[in-house]
Amino acid sequence: MYHHEGEDVFVLDSHVHMWDASEENIVHEGGEQFIQCFYDYHTGFTPEEHQWDLSTYRKYGPDRLLRDLFRDGHVDMAIFQPTYLTEFYEEGFNTTEQNAELAEEHPERFVLNGRFDPRDGEEGLEQLERDHERYDLQGVKVYTAEWKGDSKGWRLDSEEAFEYLEKCAELGIENVHPHKGPTIRPLNRDAFDVADVDDAATSFPELNFVVEHVGLPRLDDFCWIAAQEPNVYGGLAVAAPLALSRPRKFGEILGELLFWLGEDRVLFGSDYAIWEPDWLVEAVMEFELAPDQEAEYGVEFDLDVKRKVMGENAARLYDIDLSRRERDLRGDEISERFDLADQYDRGPATADD
Amino acid sequence: MSGRTPTPTRAAVLDRLDRVTDPELDRSIVELEYVERVEVDPPRVSVRIALPTAWCSPAFAWMMASDAREETLALDGVEAVRVELVDHMHEREINEGVNGGLDFETVFEDATEGVEAIRAVLDDKARLARQHGAVEALLDAGVRPEQIARLRRGDVTLDAEPDRAAISLDGDALVVFVPREPLARYVEKATDVGIVEEPDDRLFATPEGDPLTAESFDLVHRRARLARTNMTGQGTVCDGLRRARYGGAREATETSD
Repeated sequence: MYHHEGEDVFVLDSHVHMWDASEENIVHEGGEQFIQCFYDYHTGFTPEEHQWDLSTYRKYGPDRLLRDLFRDGHVDMAIFQPTYLTEFYEEGFNTTEQNAELAEEHPERFVLNGRFDPRDGEEGLEQLERDHERYDLQGVKVYTAEWKGDSKGWRLDSEEAFEYLEKCAELGIENVHPHKGPTIRPLNRDAFDVADVDDAATSFPELNFVVEHVGLPRLDDFCWIAAQEPNVYGGLAVAAPLALSRPRKFGEILGELLFWLGEDRVLFGSDYAIWEPDWLVEAVMEFELAPDQEAEYGVEFDLDVKRKVMGENAARLYDIDLSRRERDLRGDEISERFDLADQYDRGPATADD
Repeated sequence: MSGRTPTPTRAAVLDRLDRVTDPELDRSIVELEYVERVEVDPPRVSVRIALPTAWCSPAFAWMMASDAREETLALDGVEAVRVELVDHMHEREINEGVNGGLDFETVFEDATEGVEAIRAVLDDKARLARQHGAVEALLDAGVRPEQIARLRRGDVTLDAEPDRAAISLDGDALVVFVPREPLARYVEKATDVGIVEEPDDRLFATPEGDPLTAESFDLVHRRARLARTNMTGQGTVCDGLRRARYGGAREATETSD
C-alpha cells in the first residue's frame, strides 16, 4: 500500500517482468542489443542511487523481484506481461511458463498473462487454449513488432489475428495488451502504426485493449483512436518515470491522456525491472499537475484519480475486488515474509469518511 | 582573395546541418547534439553522427545521414562529403548506402517501401505540431478562432519586421503583428507538405489536410496540441537515452514546449 496524505492507496502494478538476459541465454546478437537498450532506458530515467549494475539487470531472479515489488516497492499486486523473443534468447526472455512459477506460488499477488502470435497458425491457437486451461488466463500481451523468421511483424487487424481474438473472446480472455511503444528495429511504416488497434477494438467490443506505453512515440494516434473506442485503455509504462525527471513533460502527457481517455482508462505500470516501483510509485503518487496544465487540459490528478490509475482501473479489468483482496493479502506468505500484515489491517477503509 | 571559390568553414557546415531534422522530433540534429564531429579538408568534408540509441529506426538514421550529406554537398567549395554514423546497429549498411548513393530499400532488402513513405507520415505530424505553435501565437495576439480559420497564405507577410509577421484580417481592414518564428516555422513545413502552395490557399488545415473551419477549430487545435505533446514527449525520452549513453554533460534543460 502506498500511504499518501494519511490515506492508503492500493497499488496494482499492471506491467512487470521476470526476465533472463544472462549471456548464457543469448543466442542472437539482437538479444544482447535488446538488453543493452533496456539498460539505457533504466539508467536514463532512474535516479542514480537506485541504478542497478548490468550483471544484476541481466538476471535478478525471483527473490529479488518479490523484495523489489512487495517489500520495498509499495506494490500490492502485479500483472506479469510476457515477452518471448525466442529468436534472441534460448529459453525466451520472459515467458509465461517462467513467470508462472512465482504466480502459482503466490496466487493472490500476481495476475499471470499469456501471449499469442497469429503467425503460429493452428498450432498457436491450440497452445493458447492449453495455456488458458493451465493458467486460467484473463489477459494476453501481444507484441506486433516481434520478428519471426522472414516476417517483420504482424497486425492486430489481420484475418489471422482476428481468429486469435475470437478465440480469446470464446475463452473469456478479456484483456489484450498490445505493446505499442519502442519497437525492435522499426523498418517500415507499419511499425509506427497503432491504427490496427482501432479495427480490432471496434470488431471485438467484448474485449479490452490496453495499449502499453500509451503508444509513445505515437501518443497522438493512440489518443485519437482511444477517444473513439471505449474499450481502449492506456498503460503508463515508459511515460511514468518522467514524473520524477521531467515533471512538465509528464504533466503534458498525463493531461492529454486524461483529456482524451478520461480517468477510468489509464493504468499504472512500472515495467519492472526496467524501473523499480519503489521510487516510481512515489514519483507518480506525489506528482501534481501544474495549475496552468490543469487549466489547459481541464482535468485533475487528485487522490481519487490517483487511486484509479494506481489500481482500481486494472482491478476492474481483471475482476478483482480490492477490499476483499486486501483481507486475503493480510495473511499471505508475502505479508508474513516481509512483515506487511499491519498495512492491510487498518480497519474498515471507509470508517472515517 | 576575391573571385576564388570560397573555402568552406566548419561553421558554414554546421549552419547547413542545422537544416537537417530528426524526423520524429522535428528538431535540428545540431540542436539535438547528434553531430559528433565535423572535419573540413577542402574540398572534402566529413561529418560524424551519433544517435540516442543503437536501436534508433534505421529509416530515421538513414534520413538524417542522407540529408546531412545532401545539405553539406550543397555548400560552395565542397566536392566530396563522407557521413559517418557511429554506434548504430546498422551503421555499416547505412554508411555504405548513404555515401554510395544507394536507395534505402536496396540496402535493406526486407524494407517494404522507401524512406519517403515514412518521411511523409512524420512530416504531416510535424506540420500539425507546428500549426499548434502558430495558432497559439495568433490567439495570444487576440485573433479570434473564426478569423484564424478564414486566413489564407496571402494574408501572412513573414518579413514585415525583423521579428514580427504581419497578418491581414477581414480583407485587409485590420493588420496584427505576431512573433515571426512560430508562423515562419509553420509556413515552411506546410509549404513542404503541400498544404499551402498558392496565396489563395487556406493557411491552416485539419490533420487529414482539409481546410480548417470555424466549426472544427477547437477539435483540430486540440489534436495539434496532441501532435506537439507526442513529439516533445518522445524528444524527452530520446534525450534521456542519449544522456544514458553519452553522459550527463549533454543534458538538455526542460522546457515547456
